Amino acid sequence: MSRLRLPSRSRDGTPTTAGLWMERVFDMTARGLAFLLIFAAAARAQDPRQIIQEVQKRTYSDSQRYEGTLQVIGHENRVATKRWVFERIGSFGASKAILRFTAPPEVKGVALLIINHPDKASDQWMWRPEIGREQRIALQDRSTRFFGTDFSFEDLEERDVDQFYYKLLGEENGQWKIESRPRKSSQYTYQYLWVKKDNYTITKVEAYNKKGLARVIEYRDFELDHNIWTARTTEVLDVARKSRTILKFDKLEYDVPLKSDDFTVDALRRES
Amino acid sequence: MIGALLALVLAQNFEQRGFIENDTYVYPKSAPSDSGHLVDELLIRYEASYKIAPWLAIYGAFDADADSHRQVARDWHLDWDGREIQRPAFSARRFSAILHKGRVTAEIGRQFIRWGAADILNPTDVFAPKDYLSNVIAPDFLGVIAARMTVEATTNDSLDLVWQPWFTPSRTPLLDQRWTVIPEQAQGIGIEDLGARYPGGSNFGARWHHIGSGYEFSLSAFDGHNNLPLFSSAFNAAADRVAIERYYPELRLVGADAAIPLAWFTVKGEAAYFSSTTPDTDQYALYVIQLERQVKEWSFSGGYAGEVLTKAGNPLEFQPEEGFARSLVGSAAWTIDPRRSLAIQAAVRGGGSFTRLEYSQTYGQHWRATAGVAWIRGDMNDFIGEFRRNSYASLAVRYSF
Repeated sequence: MSRLRLPSRSRDGTPTTAGLWMERVFDMTARGLAFLLIFAAAARAQDPRQIIQEVQKRTYSDSQRYEGTLQVIGHENRVATKRWVFERIGSFGASKAILRFTAPPEVKGVALLIINHPDKASDQWMWRPEIGREQRIALQDRSTRFFGTDFSFEDLEERDVDQFYYKLLGEENGQWKIESRPRKSSQYTYQYLWVKKDNYTITKVEAYNKKGLARVIEYRDFELDHNIWTARTTEVLDVARKSRTILKFDKLEYDVPLKSDDFTVDALRRES
Repeated sequence: MIGALLALVLAQNFEQRGFIENDTYVYPKSAPSDSGHLVDELLIRYEASYKIAPWLAIYGAFDADADSHRQVARDWHLDWDGREIQRPAFSARRFSAILHKGRVTAEIGRQFIRWGAADILNPTDVFAPKDYLSNVIAPDFLGVIAARMTVEATTNDSLDLVWQPWFTPSRTPLLDQRWTVIPEQAQGIGIEDLGARYPGGSNFGARWHHIGSGYEFSLSAFDGHNNLPLFSSAFNAAADRVAIERYYPELRLVGADAAIPLAWFTVKGEAAYFSSTTPDTDQYALYVIQLERQVKEWSFSGGYAGEVLTKAGNPLEFQPEEGFARSLVGSAAWTIDPRRSLAIQAAVRGGGSFTRLEYSQTYGQHWRATAGVAWIRGDMNDFIGEFRRNSYASLAVRYSF
């Protein structure tokens, strides 16, 4: 079986657009979620921008498939669980992805198609079995929570290196502490990132808005797969709501043989 | 060993889902043709698919219905084509096979064909008859028996060709139930339901869909019969009765739809012109323009559904799409948390309006309860307003599996 190779993204850190959020949401989860989990050993320079740029180069894969599980644990300790299968072909900026919910039963069959473009917002469609057709969707507010979880869509975006100003604040317990401030509109005024020096993974993010600490995101259970360090578990705490969400993914595969024809609006209908 | 292997293969290619739902409606007011205040409906829906080969999959969906109001037939007959006047107790919603090779996909059998881009009204959605039997403002969809071929000329262009050899009508409210409103001057006269005269021949349709840079649109055409009926009547003065029969006018439609996501909102629009050679049939254009916007956990949608009537026909008709036109329509939904949501929908036109409010909550992985109210106001000569005695409160309890 021949493996389809799509044009790869630029390895020089080509700027991406905010409209890529949806693809990034799921893509990132498999790559360790949120942004920039794997750092190259080559990026020895303690310039945070260079480190992040190197990460973009090192997280490349032709395609990807995984099964994800989201658990939302409210402040009353009630747990809501969702599961899905995610498939992506191509890489950041020019990728196509489909996410199909498999649980709970009432959302089984709901699917999302995301077509990313290197120079503009992504195109997105949602398939809802109850109405039997796809719907064009567009998210204008990136601070919207992702399917009712404690992640906002912005939390789950992969940040492009050129969308932030970075500042190296120092070292704590073998990790770099980096401050990032967005160059463009964001719900956050700044974030702190903790990056392990031995394997160049981000282990924690604290995101602050005008009122103070808004979210804490922690990455755990790292595994090396296809030379990509991937966090199998991500936990986010919404400080104001006192609610947390745990995201896990299983059966992760990189460079799986997927066909571009299966990432179209018609395929969304055909396979749902 | 072979059995175990077969079971494994089947399991990998077999998908199923469904639900059991009980809906209870409370109508505070009685209607002239219906004194009932409480209606209970039970629906069991089961859907399954099996992928026989990478290029071939079969789909089936079955409904089992029961109700307290005799709107659902009480017999063991299995309905295959959706032509029953009453809602059948057992029906095959879908039975079809999908064949896919390269850029061509064909679906053959009873299936759902949905066209259009808008959400508040879909003038071009011409292969999608609806079941208005027990609720005109919130109908369910019916499948059609058809062959559909989709050719993806490129990743951004597709052509949909549909041949529907067997007509499936929309299911209208029963003449002696509250969602059929008898004019005041005709009240007291007996009504005899003669059923329906279904057209022969085939329906044909084609739709070209193009996805451009930051927009998408479709052009569509249809030649066949409208799935919404006109009524013929014959008055028997001696018996003081009117005999009513449904018939389905010939319909030609050309239409277009589009969606344009912008930075602040998404614009969706749809328009179609309906013409007919059947005498006494309305000829008109319907159009919809709507805006959508997401703000944190709220989603908003609002727009206008308009109509341009070029020729008025038989007033004895059941045309909800025309009836809901000339309306300002809006909806808002709030995802409170992963378990709870609130939604409101409203349509306002010159002579009538309706507002629906629903609160929904899940319990565990399988249960959902939805409580709602629908408030309908207006004049008796307005399509929405004539249902002003049908405001209701509802409770739906669903177990999904």
